[in-house]
Order: sequence, then structure tokens, then C-alpha cells
Amino acid sequence: MPLLTKDMVPNILRLGGSFQVDEDVPPKFVPGDRVRARDINPTGHTRLPRYARGRQGVIERDYGVFIFPDTNARGEGKKPQHLYNVRYMARELWGPEVRAQDCVHLDMWDDYLDPA
Amino acid sequence: MSGHTHDGGTELSDIELRVRALESLLTEKGLVEPDALNELIDTYETKIGPRNGFKVVARAWTDPDFKKRLLEDANTALAEMGYEGRQGETMVVLENTPKIHNMVVCTLCSCYPWPVLGLPPVWYKSFPYRSRAVIDPRGVLKEFGLDLDEDVEVRVWDSTSEVRYIVLPERPPGTEEMSEEELAGIVNRNSLIGTAKVQAPSAKGESA
Amino acid sequence: MNGVHDMGGMHGMGPIVLEEDEPVFHAEWERRIFALMRAMSVWERWNIDMSRHARERIPPARYLGSSYYERFLHSLETLLVEKDFLTQEEIEERMAELAREGA
Repeated sequence: MPLLTKDMVPNILRLGGSFQVDEDVPPKFVPGDRVRARDINPTGHTRLPRYARGRQGVIERDYGVFIFPDTNARGEGKKPQHLYNVRYMARELWGPEVRAQDCVHLDMWDDYLDPA
Repeated sequence: MSGHTHDGGTELSDIELRVRALESLLTEKGLVEPDALNELIDTYETKIGPRNGFKVVARAWTDPDFKKRLLEDANTALAEMGYEGRQGETMVVLENTPKIHNMVVCTLCSCYPWPVLGLPPVWYKSFPYRSRAVIDPRGVLKEFGLDLDEDVEVRVWDSTSEVRYIVLPERPPGTEEMSEEELAGIVNRNSLIGTAKVQAPSAKGESA
Repeated sequence: MNGVHDMGGMHGMGPIVLEEDEPVFHAEWERRIFALMRAMSVWERWNIDMSRHARERIPPARYLGSSYYERFLHSLETLLVEKDFLTQEEIEERMAELAREGA
């Protein structure tokens, strides 16, 4: 990539990054599946927050195939895989004192999830 | 923060010195161009901001077809209005209803839908919001002056990936006669994040 | 990594502070560091995940004691040195020069 000049700025901003990968990778899950977030504790970069590890949720949506940040941050490649939105009930995350009907949605990759 | 004082000179903090050092070194080495830096700053200070989001909401409220497209394929619908690009490459719109209240956070850093809302406010990037939004959303909303009914379902969306979320707030009653442009004038930025609702203008026609 | 940045559910961070009519940038240096980060990313010697991880690696006391753009500054400096754009020595040298010259 060349030096960023003033006239390049609008295009650079409009194009943005390309995090979606045009590869035919089969998904591990489909919407409606019950899943459990893995209890991983990598010393490197991950986007799986501690509060959700080991917790059970439901696949809400499949966003398609995306770059996997954990390997991308180490320069170990994109490892393209399916990215999902997963719904976790508030009580599953925080115990019985929070409201039963509330929930937290997190985006999670195949590598963060096991079937529940 | 250490300062450096000079005879008749101003005090530069360590931070300011460091930023200047980086900029001057990178400029000298031909790695950054000052005009490009200024263009970036100007873009996010004056051109890309929450007004984009207000227009999206107003259009969704007045154009049912657009609203449908927005909820089904936000990227395409937003691109129609020219709102696309950096930190908005994959967009999802969450519709608030009387029974469902959506709220967006990034607990791990500060991910935010730049093309629609510009750069995030300090509170969104702050530790109090990042830590409490997922565990005590109702308490957080109370701090914003929003008290939800008992039976409302609160959904907090933690932006852990490059998907960017915006909330489509409920259209307040009493706004049926307003034009799309007038409606854009009553939307507020926090309602697109989910920490506020939109208020109808008062009876005298002034914004709440 | 299990760092302090992973703060969902943490307690004790205090009330949410709201500023009326908040400006996009609160100081000139914030403008410059925002633009520098964006412009240097275009060289693609690091990707966005690496830049996030550089922020996460800020030592915890510093992370928690810094403003948002201070964390930007810290992580940009880390990335510039780790990816061989600059050396720490030349940064410190330039700072000393600028300090001697005055504002």
C-alpha cells in the first residue's frame, strides 16, 4: 500500500476493511442450535469475553464467513470460519438475581463454540 | 503528567510532546502526509456524525419499504444513503418496540458504527459503561434517565466482532404530522445506541 | 488475554459521566493521534486485531489510568516500534529535542 495522501482518504474510508471472506466454509451450527462457549484462556488476543466462557446460549443468526481475530492478531492467518450472533440469558451469565427476561447477545466464531 | 517550562514558553505535557515527536518523525520519513492527516480529522470532526443516523431513523419511520430493507439487509439500505465504509462494513439494525429494548456496547474496547454515527462519545468508551452495560443494563439506563417497565425485555448487544449495531428507536406518539426532515430533527444520538428514547416535541413545537 | 480490558461485568468503575454537547476531540493532540493511527494502518504492517491486542497489552495500571486517546498513543507507539517503523531511541531523542526547543 502506498503512502496515504489527502485525495485517497475518502476512498480508503468508504471501502473500509474487508473482514468477510469469500470462501465456502461449512458452518458448525445453524440458528436455533444450543451452544456452549468454550472455556479458553489464550494469552494472546481473543474476542471471547471471560463473562461468557463456559456459558450456554442459542445461535440467533449466522453472519457468514469471517476472519478469525485470534489467529489474525498473531499473524497466523485469517482461518476463515462462520461468525454467529449468540443469545445468552442474563441469568445464565449473572445468576438468579437479574431479570429473567433480559439477555446479552455476543458475536462468536465457530472456534469459540461447542454444541451444548 | 510532567511538564516542561521554558522562559516565556508554554508548557507541553509529556503526551503532547510524544504525539508531536511521532508526527514529526513519521512525516520526515515520508510515512504520513500532513494533508491526509488533516483530511481524516476534518472528515470525522465535521462530515461524518450522528446526523447520518437521524436521517436513517426518520426515513425508516416514514418509509415502510425502507424500514423493511433496513431490518433485513442494513448494509444495502444504508449504502443507498451513502452511509458505508470504515467500521460499518457489516451493519445490523435492531428495532426497539414497546416490549423489547435493545442496547449496544463494546465491553472489550469501543467498537461503534462510524459511518452512521461518527466517532463514539467518551461515555460509550468509558469503563463504567463498558463494565456495567452487560451486567446491569437497567441501572445504566436509569443513569441516562430512562426507566423501563418491568415487563420490557432488555437485550444488550456486545460488539465482539466487526459487525456493527445500531438501534432503530420507537417513533414517539404525537409525531404523525411531522415530515421526514422534521423527524430527523427530533432524533438523538443516544437513542441509536439504546441509552435513550426519542421524545416528541412539546405542545409548543419545541424539541424536548 | 485475560487482561483488564475484558471488563464486562466488573464492578467499581464508578458512575457514567455525561458531557453536554461533547466535542469529537477534546484536545489538538487527540486529533493528531487519531489521524496518525488511521494513516499508519494503511501501510498494513499490522491488522486491526494486532492493533487491538497492542492496546490490551498496555500494563493494567496504565490502562486503567489512561484516557481513551492516551491508550491510542501508547499502543501506536508500541506498534510503530514492533513493526520497525521507528525505534524507541529516536522517539525519546525527538521528544527531548522538542522539549528543548519549547512550544
